[in-house]
Amino acid sequence: MKKHLGRALTVLLGIALGAAVFTSVRLSIHAALDSFTRSMDVIAGSADRVMVQPGGRVPEEWVAKLMQFSVVRDVSPVLTAYVRLADKKSEPFLLIGLDPIMDRSFRKWQFSERTEEDVESWIELLKRPYTLIIGKSLAEKYAVYRGDHLFIEHTRQTAFFSIAGILSPGGLAMAEGGMIALTDIATFQELTKLYGLVDRIDIKLDPNTTSEDLDHIRKNLPDNFQLGAPSAAKESGQGLIRAYQLNLSILSFASLFVGMFLVYSLVALNAASRRHELAVLRATGASPHFLFLVFLAEGALFGVMGWLTALPISTILVKYLLKGVSQTISILFAKVQVETLSLSPWEILLSFAITVFTSSVSAVQPAWEAMQVSPNEALEISRHGMTRKTSPRKLVIGGIGCLFLVVPLSLLPGILNMTLPGYFAILFLFVGFSLFAPWSLIQMGHALSPILHRFVGIPAYLAGRYVRDSGTRTAVSVGALITAVALFASLVIMIHSFRSTVELWAHQTVSGDLFVTTKMGEINRFRYPLPRTVVDGLEEFSNQVDIVPSRRYSLTYNNFPYEFQLLDIHVFLRHGDFVWLKGDPDRVRTLLKHGKGVVISEVFSNRTGVAMGDRFRARIESSLVELPVLGIIRDYRTRGGVVFYSLPQFNIRYHDVPWGGCRIFLKDRTKNPEMAVASLKNEFIRRWGDTLEIISGQALRNTILRVFDETFAITIVLLLIALAIAALGIATTLTVLVLERSKQLNTLYAVGADFGQIRSMILWEAAFMVVAGELAGIVCGFVLSYILVYVINRQSFGWTFLYEVDWGALAMSLPLIILTALAAAYPAIKMVFRESPATLLREN
Amino acid sequence: MMSFNKRSILFLWFIFVFTHGWVLAEDTKGYLSVTGPCELEFPEDHASHPDYRTEWWYYTGNLKSAAGNRYGFQLTFFRRRIIPSESEKRWPAPASAWRSSQIYLAHAAISDLDGKQHFHAQDMGRGVLGIAGEFRDNDIVRIFLKKWSTRIGPKVHQLKVISDPFSFELNLTPVKPAAFHGEEGYSQKGSTPEKASCYYSLTRLDTIGQVTLAKKTFAVSGLSWMDHEFSTASLEPGLVGWDWFSLQLSDNTEIMIYLLRQKDATIHPASSGTYVRSNGKTRHLPRHDIQVTVTDTWNSPDSGAVYPARWRLRISSPAMDLMIAPNLANQEMGTKESTGVTYWEGSVSVRGIKKGRRINGKGYVEMTGYAKAYDAPLH
Repeated sequence: MKKHLGRALTVLLGIALGAAVFTSVRLSIHAALDSFTRSMDVIAGSADRVMVQPGGRVPEEWVAKLMQFSVVRDVSPVLTAYVRLADKKSEPFLLIGLDPIMDRSFRKWQFSERTEEDVESWIELLKRPYTLIIGKSLAEKYAVYRGDHLFIEHTRQTAFFSIAGILSPGGLAMAEGGMIALTDIATFQELTKLYGLVDRIDIKLDPNTTSEDLDHIRKNLPDNFQLGAPSAAKESGQGLIRAYQLNLSILSFASLFVGMFLVYSLVALNAASRRHELAVLRATGASPHFLFLVFLAEGALFGVMGWLTALPISTILVKYLLKGVSQTISILFAKVQVETLSLSPWEILLSFAITVFTSSVSAVQPAWEAMQVSPNEALEISRHGMTRKTSPRKLVIGGIGCLFLVVPLSLLPGILNMTLPGYFAILFLFVGFSLFAPWSLIQMGHALSPILHRFVGIPAYLAGRYVRDSGTRTAVSVGALITAVALFASLVIMIHSFRSTVELWAHQTVSGDLFVTTKMGEINRFRYPLPRTVVDGLEEFSNQVDIVPSRRYSLTYNNFPYEFQLLDIHVFLRHGDFVWLKGDPDRVRTLLKHGKGVVISEVFSNRTGVAMGDRFRARIESSLVELPVLGIIRDYRTRGGVVFYSLPQFNIRYHDVPWGGCRIFLKDRTKNPEMAVASLKNEFIRRWGDTLEIISGQALRNTILRVFDETFAITIVLLLIALAIAALGIATTLTVLVLERSKQLNTLYAVGADFGQIRSMILWEAAFMVVAGELAGIVCGFVLSYILVYVINRQSFGWTFLYEVDWGALAMSLPLIILTALAAAYPAIKMVFRESPATLLREN
Repeated sequence: MMSFNKRSILFLWFIFVFTHGWVLAEDTKGYLSVTGPCELEFPEDHASHPDYRTEWWYYTGNLKSAAGNRYGFQLTFFRRRIIPSESEKRWPAPASAWRSSQIYLAHAAISDLDGKQHFHAQDMGRGVLGIAGEFRDNDIVRIFLKKWSTRIGPKVHQLKVISDPFSFELNLTPVKPAAFHGEEGYSQKGSTPEKASCYYSLTRLDTIGQVTLAKKTFAVSGLSWMDHEFSTASLEPGLVGWDWFSLQLSDNTEIMIYLLRQKDATIHPASSGTYVRSNGKTRHLPRHDIQVTVTDTWNSPDSGAVYPARWRLRISSPAMDLMIAPNLANQEMGTKESTGVTYWEGSVSVRGIKKGRRINGKGYVEMTGYAKAYDAPLH
């Protein structure tokens, strides 16, 4: 290492970057997962069962009724909603309504300090309407104290609350990172106008409760109630976050994977340059295994040092990633509020182990080469470079073997909801293509050298010849570049395909000129219907607009979260459409209008196994819905799947449901529709601005695409880091090649070649490597993009998208990569004549 | 840090109800006050008196199983009005059904006197939506808290408790009319007229029923005592606790005594008692007629409190000299696993001489303020 200090430092930097990315990603998601789990745990409390009504709420009289069951020990009714400070237009925070007395055995909460007044804080909730106890984080954020007032805005109304106490971190106060408030159930009902209803009833059972006892309770409940495990929502959320964790871990591992090539190249250089020393060692009694271990230890040492170097980088990176990851998880799966980074010893150990392991694995091949050194070589004249070269053909055969495995692995289903076979397919794809690198360089050298000789000149010819003959080390850097370019190309294709499909979906399915929902409707899962006065008022505009009312229910299907959306399909299809995946659209549209079945999203189908022609069955409030699946559509809402059914038909066949929201289409779009929409919006705001959220369709679609772009921000950062490490690889390899050939290059100079020709030769060598890497990388990238779109996305998220290549972006960015990689050759070119040729030749 | 868990909430409750409520002289404006004769009538006055701030229904008894094993039991329902009725007018309209001015709390205990074990349980709930409260049907009054209840009928009181450590269902038949303490139920607890409660007892109730303990259910029979008391007043400053005795003697008479202990270890002059003759007629026992001497103590391993554990009770009229001894040393309520409130409430036996004749009996004693001042229910 000492001998090649500059190169060693470069390799260390590469490994450190890879390890830092991996560690930061893991720690960030772990923190988010930890926060989510803790939040769900403290909110779920110590309940054994939870009684809910899918899509609806539970009448409060069931609190007392449940207590009459002999095995029921305690019950606690709970209501939750997101609210915000009206005057500060703050981020929403969670308001929990509970009975402080009944809840005492379910959840713990603590006051920030014990004072005489604190003793009575909880009873104040009962004594005084509109009092609350707030989390310390919330209190600190808005600099409020006991006795202060908060003007709190909820979907249904805005009201002044008095702060009866501050919770300290711990127990329930840890939910949502402390951005939480507790109020008495009576106040909650009065604020939300949910008289007589609770969201759920938590139940504690006798420890000896049997399944027969539970069946007995279930039999005595109305059909529309469910007695479920409190952990169901948590497990569902955890499953989604873990899948995301795996995806991002694999992506961040790509940086380490690229770093492996760096370690390989340097250890191989060391092994080659010390071949004579190795032979002497062998001659003096060192066993082949000892030599093997020495080089393996060198690789491991790179890993350890790289990981240690990664620590300060990680501390900076993790801050950025933590924010990004939390935002993405909140958008995609479940709201998380990560206040602190919990350092998991397991995650730290994992990142250390993976870094050291990958570095060690990188050193296996050079170490094996070192093992092969014969003691007889000690008597030979010293010479540089390996005498034994791995046959490119053997590598090609290995490569073909790996590539053959890609297809069957891609076709395997996920294991434990994780896309492991898919990721192995990607690994084999990378390895396969990398193993092709030496062979392809030889072929390229063969094919291009004569042509370049003729058209470009001697430097390009010599460069081609050298690349052809340079062996595995050059190929290793090319392999690194293949990996990075493949990742780049595939992600460009995938993200473009994804974005185009989402755009199509947004314009067809999320069509409409205005969207009307209740205030904070989305964050509260559209659980509060539009007030009757608003519905009546909206209908007054029916001469100007078509109104598509809707109602959305957040439900679960075998623990998989999905949305059951009722929509006036008839009107909707006049203006918009679904993005059809399966089923004859014309036929399905007709049947759907007549309520003859439902259409389900691809995500719902993939996740639940419900296919076209199957019967969809769900309990929606008091009705049991059982309908055939008419078709499958593409849908990209982020929290699970979706099932669409006709709202008017639901009202006829099942029960009346109030509007949860609606979308508005202008009837006449010929006269300046933008102005007409703006005018309508202003009128709606004037009438109902305090209770509704009104957003133009264009703004909503823009928001969807902005969220999409934000979601992929982390992916792009990780990709850029992988590319940077690949560039480091090119720089290292070329430097090594230059240094190795310093005598040869100076001889060339001595026999008449000028500096310019020699530098041109080095640049051509770099160009060969970069072009070879990029060409193979693009081919690999196309295959990879198919795997990402049709395997990884389907297995991880349940969706696929219309495959579409962004030729423009590729055409723009690939030359940029070439230029960047060529720029990486600059240090090598500069190094060629760092010492005077005369000195070098004299010394040699 | 103060944890708001099951244990501490009850502690807070007691602090609130009994310390804050009685001792710190919380503003009593807006509540009805006991200032004179209570004019108690039944069955109406078995029911709650919701405009007074505090009220309790209290049952104790000594039972025996068919196998001859002895048991003591206690069941107490407390009601607390947390805001004056005037404040209810400021409730939002319409108000949630959960909005309530009344909170109920209950304590229950079983003393397995031969098995030398004491079990206790407690619960709490607001007086709404069938969770806790009172139900009246003609001449029947039912006070309930979740699965616990007392159904007070014209002839029988039915007690029901279901808890993890034990359960019981008992039918109590009064064999004597209600005994009114103080002046026809107006029981003074301090130096001024409003420092008082309305207080009556059913001092002798034949009891039969069943007890479930350690998953075994068995029949029991014996004698019980019932108290019902309500008030709004705060306790006087300077008190550290009280000792309360309910004794059922073998000559079909009963004695109730409460002694309000002051900081200087003296007994407050408002302390008094009631003697109930065999025919049910009562005689007020003023402070100067009562002399109680502690002859032994018991050190609680849980709370560290040192409780009197044997007493000599002398009453000048009717003349009697009684020795009172606990049937089980450890009948301490609360402590670690329950409320944090620590008081001693337990079964006792009585031996002695009354009017020159040997006499014996059973009863219950409550002692508060030994572990910590004012941390247990006033009786």
